[in-house]
Amino acid sequence: MTALNIAYGSPRRLSRLTGTLSAGGRIGLLVLIVLLLLSAAAPLVCHHSSRETSGPPLAPPNAAHWMGTDDLGVDIWAQVCFGARISLLVGIGTALLAGLGGALAGILAGYCGGWVDRILMRLIDILLVLPDLPVMIVLAAFFGPSVWTVIGVLSAFSWVFTARIVRARVLSLKQRRFIQAAETYGAGPLYLMRRHFLPEIFPLVAVGMIRLAGRAIVAEAGLSFLGLGDPTSRSWGFILHHALSFPGIYYTAFWKWWLLFPWLALTLVVLSLALIGKDFENIADPRMRSH
Amino acid sequence: MLDVAKLSIVYHRVRPAVPAAMDIDFSLAPGESLGIIGESGCGKTTLALGLMGLLREAEVRGQVRFQGRDLNALAPARRRRYQWRHMAMVFQNSLEVFNPVISLGEQMAEPLRTHLGMDRRTARKRVSAMLDLTGLDPAWQDAYAHQLSGGMRQRALIAMALGCAPDLLIVDEPTTSLDPESRQAILDLLETLKQQMGFALILISHNLPAVQRLTIRLMTLYAGRLVETGRTADILRNPLHPYTRGLINAAPDFFPFKDLWGIPGAPPKPGDSTGCAFEPRCCQAESVCRRSRPPLTPVGVERQVACHKGGIETVLQAVGLIKSYRVGGRTINALKGVNLTVRRGEVAALVGPSGSGKSTLAHILVRVLTADAGEVRFLGQTVTNREATAVMGGIQIVFQDPGEAVSHRFTVLEAVREPLDILGWQDRPQRDARAAAALAAMHLPTGPDFLGRTCHALSGGQRQRVAIARALVTEPVLLVADEITAMLDPSTQAVILRELKGLQQSRGFSMLFITHDIHLARKTADRVYVLEQGRLAAQGAVFDVLAVNGNNSSPRRMPRAAMENE
Repeated sequence: MTALNIAYGSPRRLSRLTGTLSAGGRIGLLVLIVLLLLSAAAPLVCHHSSRETSGPPLAPPNAAHWMGTDDLGVDIWAQVCFGARISLLVGIGTALLAGLGGALAGILAGYCGGWVDRILMRLIDILLVLPDLPVMIVLAAFFGPSVWTVIGVLSAFSWVFTARIVRARVLSLKQRRFIQAAETYGAGPLYLMRRHFLPEIFPLVAVGMIRLAGRAIVAEAGLSFLGLGDPTSRSWGFILHHALSFPGIYYTAFWKWWLLFPWLALTLVVLSLALIGKDFENIADPRMRSH
Repeated sequence: MLDVAKLSIVYHRVRPAVPAAMDIDFSLAPGESLGIIGESGCGKTTLALGLMGLLREAEVRGQVRFQGRDLNALAPARRRRYQWRHMAMVFQNSLEVFNPVISLGEQMAEPLRTHLGMDRRTARKRVSAMLDLTGLDPAWQDAYAHQLSGGMRQRALIAMALGCAPDLLIVDEPTTSLDPESRQAILDLLETLKQQMGFALILISHNLPAVQRLTIRLMTLYAGRLVETGRTADILRNPLHPYTRGLINAAPDFFPFKDLWGIPGAPPKPGDSTGCAFEPRCCQAESVCRRSRPPLTPVGVERQVACHKGGIETVLQAVGLIKSYRVGGRTINALKGVNLTVRRGEVAALVGPSGSGKSTLAHILVRVLTADAGEVRFLGQTVTNREATAVMGGIQIVFQDPGEAVSHRFTVLEAVREPLDILGWQDRPQRDARAAAALAAMHLPTGPDFLGRTCHALSGGQRQRVAIARALVTEPVLLVADEITAMLDPSTQAVILRELKGLQQSRGFSMLFITHDIHLARKTADRVYVLEQGRLAAQGAVFDVLAVNGNNSSPRRMPRAAMENE
């Protein structure tokens, strides 16, 4: 019953969510919060610069450099902390942009129907069929490397998933009696959206956004890894790219800190997002609710 | 034979004077029969006594022309000669009608001897013959009034009135306080006597079956004034004045299955108001009804009604509604040209099996669906969009599924207030107050605890009450109730329907009650439409269409009744 309560809950009931998360979800949430705090407080928790040489090159983890240094002697702990800012920015930015954009497109398509629906649906079909990574590579190369380009490109491909789910939900909502009743009182699209559609689709969009965030972080890392990221902003993907550009890294012991720590951070974020997303999905989708 | 013009009777000895009958106009041909109905205290008996010239305490004005002579202009002595000889009255049955210390025979012989000049013996013979004719043993003429039963006394009264073979017989409440068997016997007797003797009859009664059986024409009297006249069959089947309809709807003889509901309110003292006397109790009253008194105006063949609206208004008229759905390449004709009318203050039932198009019709009426062809008129205006539903005092619908009809995320208060919010009615505190009042009317708590509860936490019955409260919050003129109790248990159903009917009764809105349950339709509705496979199979008054034949409880179809109503 509580789960049902949440599923149709409005944002203000979000605080109750933590109570219904599984153990995995709670761990995920905890890790995410710690990483967010670390990235926010990066200048305070890092003693060294993330850009300038602060010790001997390729030093293994030690008391001064908790995660060692790279080939230029730059502290990796600082790089991971500051890189988290970029990765999380891309993740959250993409999730918000694609999630809200997708929700809007879905509501428009579902509510208006007709040619708006047809155009949007064909567009979604095309975007679904296109293999996204190659297109992203081309686009990123075309628009030049910048965090915002990455967010834009990722959003352009990710809104379709949210839009499709939201459209389906709005289509079914439109047939619900209480929507029809509100319409008989003369309720306009704005009222319906504010009082009925948005609260109803919020849980769906939230799940979609969490999933998108994970996907976006990985995609950004992938693009950076391929050298298409923003070279001035050292994201985790860029650290990996930089490390792998070091000739013969696998023949040395350097990878044990240079590669491992950024990879670990990336994996932890994606894993915790996945865990939270899974819990949200359980809450939002009644069919997956077994208890 | 009898022409009454502008007859007014005022009891002037009492202060203030009571105008018991005002401006009565009617006429009666020889052999004709006329019924007068109305609640107690409407002036029926006064009118009869006035015709007979038996009122000494009252001022009688106007003309009563009987067989070419103006009775009111006659000297009292000459007028008395007319009484009993040509025009006789059967008084309302009671012990006081007869003198308790004079034998019946003597009392009955008295008019014969004064008017016909019979001697004692002939008169006694004549009394014996009359008693025999009315089915009483002539031996009873030596008895005293208190020795007779009610039925026998009624027969004796009739015998006395018919003694001089009058041309006009006025009968005042012949069947009150009689058991059904004697009642039937008295009606049989009056009918046979009328055929045998050919007198004209004025029957004053509130027993509608008696009126239906014995009279050809009918007049409804309210607060001393005629409010409707016409042919008895027409009026009883299709009353035009809300008051007449109220009388008929309250008659258990006509609606044996329906719950008993009288006309709300009580009749005023005659002469109290300057407007329409029925206005305070009327379901379609407007300011004009309070200001001026409507005259009796012709509205059809032999039909007159005193109403500013020309009789009961038509609230909803659906004409030639056609709707088809396309399902997987097949076309399903849900409605094949349906006409439907709902009038002010009535409960019309729409019955039919599942899939007969009932809900489709309901949804077209509130424009959740649009019809392929045909039109819907609300208070005379063709409905093209949401103008009939998106207003205060319009059409509202209550849907079948209480769980679906109200968003489960809303709190009770939000749900009930939603129509007002959307319509932008007044300001927030007034909306809250209105919503709370609507909930209270549906017998729901109005404490902050309940108002703040989300709708999904309510039971099915509570949710349906909330849905009804929400529909009533805009004070609709017409409520479409689409199978509103189909998902509830019988007890909840009974309670909710009674509450809804009570509200309908007191507020006077019209209701289109859609159900597949004929028994429910019999219980609640005044008129009924039977829908079958997208067509109207029957329509008319509930007692015509849904009459019970023996144990067979399926509707008896009367297409003829349907035609007559058009």
